[in-house]
Amino acid sequence: MHPRPRAFRLLLIVVAIATAGACAAGVAAAGAAADPAGALPPAPGPATGLADSAALRATVFGTPPEDLAPLPARVPLTEIDLKLPWANPVPAVFWFDKKLRVWLSAQKTPAPLAIVIAGTGGDGNTAKLGTLRAALYGAGYHVLTLPSPTFPGFIVSASRTGVAGDLRQDGADLYSAMQTIIAHLPRRVQITDIDVLGYSLGGANAAVVKAIDASEGKLHIHRAVMINPPVSLFTSIGRLDRLFALNIGTGDAAIERLYRQLYAELANLYRASDRVELDEDFLLGAAAAVLKTDAEFSSAIALSFRLDLVNMFFAGDLYAGTGVVVDPRHPPRVGDPLEKIETTLRAMPFSEYFARVFAPYYLAHRADSTAKSLIADNRLDIIGEALRNDADYYAQTNSDDLILDKAELRWLEHTLGDRLVVYDHGGHLGNLGDRSQIADMLAMLAGTWHRPAP
Amino acid sequence: MSLRRCSLPVATLLAATLAGCATQNVDISSLPAATPAADNAAAAESRTELAAAVASEGSETAAANGAAPPPQLTPADAPSMYTYDPWERLNRFTYRFNARFDAAVFLPAANGYRRLPSPLRSGVHNFFGNLSELSTMINDTLQWRLGRGVRSFGRFVVNSTIGIGGLIDVAKHIRLPSAPTGFSDTLGTWGVHPGPYLVLPLFGPSTLRDTIGLAGDIGTRYGINLFDLYRGPFYKTGSLDVTDAVDERANTAFRYYATGSPFEYDDIRFLYVRKRLLEDTGLHRHEQPKRPAPGAEAGQ
Repeated sequence: MHPRPRAFRLLLIVVAIATAGACAAGVAAAGAAADPAGALPPAPGPATGLADSAALRATVFGTPPEDLAPLPARVPLTEIDLKLPWANPVPAVFWFDKKLRVWLSAQKTPAPLAIVIAGTGGDGNTAKLGTLRAALYGAGYHVLTLPSPTFPGFIVSASRTGVAGDLRQDGADLYSAMQTIIAHLPRRVQITDIDVLGYSLGGANAAVVKAIDASEGKLHIHRAVMINPPVSLFTSIGRLDRLFALNIGTGDAAIERLYRQLYAELANLYRASDRVELDEDFLLGAAAAVLKTDAEFSSAIALSFRLDLVNMFFAGDLYAGTGVVVDPRHPPRVGDPLEKIETTLRAMPFSEYFARVFAPYYLAHRADSTAKSLIADNRLDIIGEALRNDADYYAQTNSDDLILDKAELRWLEHTLGDRLVVYDHGGHLGNLGDRSQIADMLAMLAGTWHRPAP
Repeated sequence: MSLRRCSLPVATLLAATLAGCATQNVDISSLPAATPAADNAAAAESRTELAAAVASEGSETAAANGAAPPPQLTPADAPSMYTYDPWERLNRFTYRFNARFDAAVFLPAANGYRRLPSPLRSGVHNFFGNLSELSTMINDTLQWRLGRGVRSFGRFVVNSTIGIGGLIDVAKHIRLPSAPTGFSDTLGTWGVHPGPYLVLPLFGPSTLRDTIGLAGDIGTRYGINLFDLYRGPFYKTGSLDVTDAVDERANTAFRYYATGSPFEYDDIRFLYVRKRLLEDTGLHRHEQPKRPAPGAEAGQ
């Protein structure tokens, strides 16, 4: 068997099912023909030394059902679509993203409101949000789940810039969106208090929103809990880009080779079975049969990030008029083929997005900024003071989280002190929903959490 | 209700669909409640079943049955990464129509249906599944898969009698699981390529061959006219078809543009055509795989 990852489509299906809602998942899997980065600078240090096997597996598979915290039998669900007054004109190809879509689970009696923000590229109804929603609703909160500001639906309907990925700007957009949503909630929903949470990038977003609220005072957000947040956004994504280049390879040929290997492998498994229909059960079984090496798990993780990036890159290029894949004078229309654009973007790592869309846009729009300052602005340091001094910020992370290095973990420990819990295992979000994670999260939100004595 | 009497609401719904019905600034719609505890129990169960299936997959192969293992596909046998889609412009507009129709009509109906008690819904689902068994049997026979044809017939007999007219899938529990097939698979067995990708109004992703297959399946259903259900006044056949469609929609975990992505059309096309081509490799299990012509797009 070829030592290189041979299963990236299957991997994706598994990742997708583990990390996203079922339908978004199928589509993420569909976009699997990713192309690796050719232009990455040589990485300092061991790039695969990001995490051990257990962490990679936990990240892909998530919390096993038997370890999940007890969840309520029934959670009511309301979908809210809002048109936000500050949104930019909607480009033709984004006709379906005119409104921001969020989900509310409301208690019948007055209760505190927990606002939960998805991780990179996630909509407001991912499987992870579903787990958090159920746990929070079960604990007596009204729960409002929001997409990540990097989700295309948010970029189009709620971003002021169209160029996602800046902690401050995304936080400001989220903060405005929250105010509008809360003003439009059904009158029967009576809110006694407001807390914010988020997982992965959403955790950092939540903390920034609370910091903005502390100075603007429009919502009076009480507590913030970050679940597996990044410390430096660009460093974290850089690590994933590197993982991609190392495990998937570079150039069009590598991608095509990978696709062909995977197709042949799937076909052989299918032909050897006695099945008629290639259904989800078969795909899951096949994935479980071919998912083996760390490299395969790594590429799955790297790839799912890359696929999220494609949409963000496209939207950014379109809004900023940077012309990387979209001619600003002739933006694509509804019937136009987009495959070429998608293929091109799959080949581009985050560093390209930063250099060709993000930096040009923000350097032009933010006085006195430099490339260096833009990177620095995307560290949690920008709210370091608040994190240190305000006792209402909390965080949960894992000692083997792939998006953090040792220095970043230390920074979190120094900054948050007693308000941080570090679990031994779980990789990135691989323990979200398990008993201790949920119990600690609820205690943090209630302000009753105390770090257990070592 | 006569056709004329229901044409006004239908026209209104269609007009709303075509207009995109995006007039209000805030839409609040209540969905069927989530059931996390039950979902997790189901996930745990399917995980156990999956592990068992993976463990037994090896022993269930053709090789274990004494037959020669099927010839292996190599990476060179994989179809192109690009898909044959000469009618892309039209397809993309149809895709948009389907997305709007789904949001305005189909999905609300399916969400309403999901509020019905689950035994009732599974009864409806099994009922329609049972109706298609005879067509499956005919196609199995045309594909010269006689064992499967007999199995389908057995399922039909058991479920129509013990299963109370098909409401309960009894056969599943006596090791006769469902294995539906249709006329498109028959055409595939006879060597017909999928042909151009085609997005059908209301039905969604398809290929030219699948479209002909769909017409064949509908014709077969009409021809057999099982239990005299498929002929007669419009209100009868129409309500049957609508119920079938709503049940099918409620059992399909897909939502247009939940990805928020303008590349969704491309991604669905990629997935759909690869899935159908993989299924074709299964139709020709015991033959040496045919290598795609150089430069040919997938499906061509």
